[in-house]
Amino acid sequence: MSIEFNEEEVTFRGVASVEDAEVLLDWLQKNPAATVQLGPCSHLHTANLQVLMAAHPTIASWPENPELRAWLEIALKSEL
Amino acid sequence: MNPLLEQFLSEAREFSEGIGNKLLQLENEPNDQDAINELFRLVHTLKGNSGLFTFPEMTRVLHAGEDLLGMVRNEQIEYSRELADSLLDAMDFVMALCDDIEKSGVISTRHLQSTERVTDALRALMPVLPDTAETDAGAKADRAKFAASPQALLPLAAVPTDARVEAIRHVRAGDPLHWIAYTPVKECFFQGDDPLHMARQVPGLLWGTVRPTQPLPSLAELDTYSCVLEFHLLTTAPREELNELFRYVPEQVKIEKVDLLWQAVPEDGQAYAVQAEPTEVPSIISQEEAVAVEAILSAQQQILGLDDQSAWKAGRMRSVASVLRNLSQGLGQDADASDIEGALASSLATGDGAPLLQWMEKHRENLSHRTWRSDTVTTGNEPLSRETATNSMAAGGIAKPVAEGDIKFGRRAEDTINGPRSLKVDQAKIDLLMNLIGELVVEKNALPYLAQRAEVQYGVRELSREIKGKYSVINRIADEMQYAIMQVRMMAVSVVFQRFPRLVRDISHKLGKEVQLVLEGEQTEADKNIIESLADPLIHIVRNSLDHGLETPEVRRASGKPETGKLTIRAAQEADRVVIEIIDDGKGIDPNVIKRKAYEKGLIDEAASERMGDQEAVNLIFAAGLSTAETISDLSGRGVGMDVVRSAVEKMNGAVVINSELGKGTKIRISLPLSMAVSQIMIVESDRQLFGVPMDHVVETVRVSRHAVRFIKQSMTAILRGRVVPLKAINALLGIPALAKTNADDEFAVLLVQVGGGVMGLVVDGFRETIGVIQKPLAGILSSLSTYSGSALMGDGSVLMILNIRELI
Repeated sequence: MSIEFNEEEVTFRGVASVEDAEVLLDWLQKNPAATVQLGPCSHLHTANLQVLMAAHPTIASWPENPELRAWLEIALKSEL
Repeated sequence: MNPLLEQFLSEAREFSEGIGNKLLQLENEPNDQDAINELFRLVHTLKGNSGLFTFPEMTRVLHAGEDLLGMVRNEQIEYSRELADSLLDAMDFVMALCDDIEKSGVISTRHLQSTERVTDALRALMPVLPDTAETDAGAKADRAKFAASPQALLPLAAVPTDARVEAIRHVRAGDPLHWIAYTPVKECFFQGDDPLHMARQVPGLLWGTVRPTQPLPSLAELDTYSCVLEFHLLTTAPREELNELFRYVPEQVKIEKVDLLWQAVPEDGQAYAVQAEPTEVPSIISQEEAVAVEAILSAQQQILGLDDQSAWKAGRMRSVASVLRNLSQGLGQDADASDIEGALASSLATGDGAPLLQWMEKHRENLSHRTWRSDTVTTGNEPLSRETATNSMAAGGIAKPVAEGDIKFGRRAEDTINGPRSLKVDQAKIDLLMNLIGELVVEKNALPYLAQRAEVQYGVRELSREIKGKYSVINRIADEMQYAIMQVRMMAVSVVFQRFPRLVRDISHKLGKEVQLVLEGEQTEADKNIIESLADPLIHIVRNSLDHGLETPEVRRASGKPETGKLTIRAAQEADRVVIEIIDDGKGIDPNVIKRKAYEKGLIDEAASERMGDQEAVNLIFAAGLSTAETISDLSGRGVGMDVVRSAVEKMNGAVVINSELGKGTKIRISLPLSMAVSQIMIVESDRQLFGVPMDHVVETVRVSRHAVRFIKQSMTAILRGRVVPLKAINALLGIPALAKTNADDEFAVLLVQVGGGVMGLVVDGFRETIGVIQKPLAGILSSLSTYSGSALMGDGSVLMILNIRELI
């Protein structure tokens, strides 16, 4: 599992796969006020991105990878 | 080549043949829903299988075929001959790809063009249905829009200014600029796609955005396995690279080359910018763009204002001039650009940036302040409105978990595993088994000799009897084993027959003839080698029948026959032979025409032509170099064919007979052994040597009293069962200087053999048992001995020569 769920905070590490999206969706429904740490994330499957886009969680940290960060900012930031 | 690929290729061939068959079946019964379903299933499965490998070309063609058949299945379009032609073409193409893969492991790039052509041909048959366009979220609609007016409707306004400026710079530098609209299909996750990953792979990316194709549902309603995003990207990568990257999803991607003059600004709220013709200078730029232009100009001013070493000054000025030139051209102000050169020249001459600064001042108004709109700049994420966002947040909190029973994909643990009920085995393995059983059959024949030695040489009668007992058991098992392995090698003639519907259809269409093909006894089985060697002769015969035998509808009508000719191919098993008949109801063979042709070609002389009966004349078509067709077509008529057929059949110990009735039709009958592996041989003895005679030729064995033998001139004859049978001594035929022996009652041993329709007697010294042997062809210098067809190893280790009766007599 490349997504870590802690209390009210979810951290993406490495590559988040398509299977992770379902768990993420579940968890975000139960923790709507959660914040997301994307710092250590190197890639996340589109399915996860979709979930994040629909959920609009607070992004606590953006990916270190500048190119991925650019993509995620375009997708997620305009909503905040 | 890995085993999976090997299996795929062999399956692909099977499927392709199956598809061809169904198409032809549908041609006769266009409304056969079962056949359509089956056809769809075949194409669908083949497409799915091709997806396991990196053969996007194949997958694309099959995908188009699948779509087309899907429409036929849903009765959105009707089955037609054109449709069948296109699909058959497509299958031929897929087979060509398979051949490529088999040869080199990859599909060569030369097929790319054909892929387009074949796919387009299939797609062209699909009507654009309004409802599908609407329901299929975005993808098809987008495609249709792009197709309607390419280049006209690019949502370029979404591109932020800095990216645009960058883009202008690249285009000015001569780089290609491409706009990619990537709308993954909803199910793309199941196909293993990760669209974001794909987008990240795009080389030379200038700008990109991702947005939902429709407002995102609340978390509770969100289906994580359904992709609802689309990507827009602007890149400087060349087209080929992009095609390569998106080669698996070409139908989900629209790549457009972008001209420079795309920076016109959208009307309020419009997502799509109208692309101006190069002559029409866009008159308005957005506020943000105006700000950007201002920033660029200020930067140039600063650069010119820098006061340092003159060594760099000239370069700086050129750079500033270049930026200004690009900027003004980029904004469609080519006229302004012309005097930049003048300003640059004077700046360079004086070593002072003043002329360029003056130019900037003069044109500043034109470039940035002239017209700008006060609208907010459209961003890429417009459709994802704040309202939806809030809604989904609110709903997310109280949402029920995803309903139980929802299909969870990717969990296949409960799927029952249905093991395959048939095995695919490499033929070499079966051949090995066959060889081994052959050796076993030969070796077991050694046991009777052993038993005999035990009794005669060592005098142990008890042991001898036991060995004989064991021998009979081993004999039985070996026989059964041999039979079982032969069954494995057995193939139905349908393997060969199944290509005829297509062949007959294509040829008869080409010749303008109407032909009904009737196949009978397709389940008749024979050894694989026999079946395979049957294919070519049969094709020759069928082509001949279609070309020379069956008449055109007009001719048929004139001679009072039904317009549609009938071609029957029938297979049946008769004793240990398989018999195949090809019967047409065409014009038959005119013996006189054949005789004349044969005479003209110098195959027979006049006297022979006079003497020759009709049947003999018809048999002349098996002679080499005879062609009766008036014109040489690409089908037949080159004078090769029937002689090739006969030699091919005879090579397999078969026989071919032709019967023809002028005006009524022709019947060609091929008879072949069921299996070539083990042949039954009768052993005869002469002058203390043993010889084998194939049982196929043996009619009976008789004893003929010396008195019963009559001499007609030099030839011996005897009357057996009321008919005169010529006798020949095997010693004389083989040049053995000995006379035939008689038994105690002064009777000759005569083996009656059947040769070329007649029966004759071979006088030998005595008969031995019949055995099953693996006949080996004679090799090396012995192969020129035509009196022997081969040799076999006997149980006691000696070599048995097998007579070629046909050559001997």
